[in-house]
Amino acid sequence: MNKLIVAAACAVVVTGVQADGGNYALDPTHTFVTFEVTHFGTSTNRARFDKKEGVVQFDRAARSGRVEITIDMASINSGVPPFDGHLRSKDILNVGEFPTAKFVGDKFSFSGDQVTAVAGTLTMMGKTHPVTLKANRFNCYLNPMFKREVCGGDFETVIQRSQWGVNYGLPTVAPDNVRLLVQVEAVKQ
Amino acid sequence: MQLPVLLLALAAASAGAQPAVYVLDPAHSFVHFEVLHFGTSTSRGRFGPVSGAVTLDRVAGRGEVGLRIPTATVDTGLPVFNARLREADLLASAEYPEAFFVARNFRFEGQILADVRGEFTLRGVSQPLSLFARRFACRSDDGGEVCGGDFEGELLRSEFGATYGLPFVADRVRLVVQVEGRRR
Repeated sequence: MNKLIVAAACAVVVTGVQADGGNYALDPTHTFVTFEVTHFGTSTNRARFDKKEGVVQFDRAARSGRVEITIDMASINSGVPPFDGHLRSKDILNVGEFPTAKFVGDKFSFSGDQVTAVAGTLTMMGKTHPVTLKANRFNCYLNPMFKREVCGGDFETVIQRSQWGVNYGLPTVAPDNVRLLVQVEAVKQ
Repeated sequence: MQLPVLLLALAAASAGAQPAVYVLDPAHSFVHFEVLHFGTSTSRGRFGPVSGAVTLDRVAGRGEVGLRIPTATVDTGLPVFNARLREADLLASAEYPEAFFVARNFRFEGQILADVRGEFTLRGVSQPLSLFARRFACRSDDGGEVCGGDFEGELLRSEFGATYGLPFVADRVRLVVQVEGRRR
């Protein structure tokens, strides 16, 4: 097991950008986007995108930052393979034509030295709209495995999927509002 | 409508509402968990689909549920984590392939299910667990009636002997449960 952890740690370091002080590499083992959308008003369907990559520039002292995350839309995983297939189809996310989505966040809000929100744009299915991710939690710590500073947190937002042309099943099967839950951790380079 | 007529109408509407058994829909029945990693971000995983049945008597305000949760289905999006979670000091999936939730203490507010109190068994250890309904609804389609909702609860994994990674990965685990069941 320790070998696996070391391998994961090395993978994180190797995939990170080579750069100076303010650059952080996304830790793909603690960075996920999950969406929640209600199903016939009865229960909440959840699915997660398993593959993503990105870079973060973060300067806590200057209270600034920039994050770019690219999501592999075909990596969607709900636990129900036929549902995943439908989500990938032209009916819904059309991943054949639009294989990735991208979030670029360049307006970091702070309270003291804590990030409270990251505003930017989400590009999905060829359409770009503003999105603000609210921080429910933010922290930096010294990771004992990486022996480096790791910063991260829990972020969320609610988007109206119709803005990006994701109209399937509106409004009965699933409503327009989709909640995005974002776990992110990034390792200082 | 006068009151006696209204009461008669209500009685007629609920005439079909004797105890009914709902079999869980595998496309909409999952247990998700959330646990804090280094006090910084929330790691999530999913078990399921879970199987089982729920008996509801919405008029009498009673019910019971038995869920089976195949622990080896744990899915965090990371094969390495999934394998680590199945080991003996966490889920112990080889020795205990299933976790169970059994409850007979249902509390309704009107005909809406509010909470379910029962017992959760993980790694062969049973502890009380309460699940609170964040959402509950019933609907009908061509195949009959479907009831379901979203439920939440919390447990301390150490109480079940799942201790690996404490305290860097928190003891407190939040459970988020999606269930839908079709009336048999």
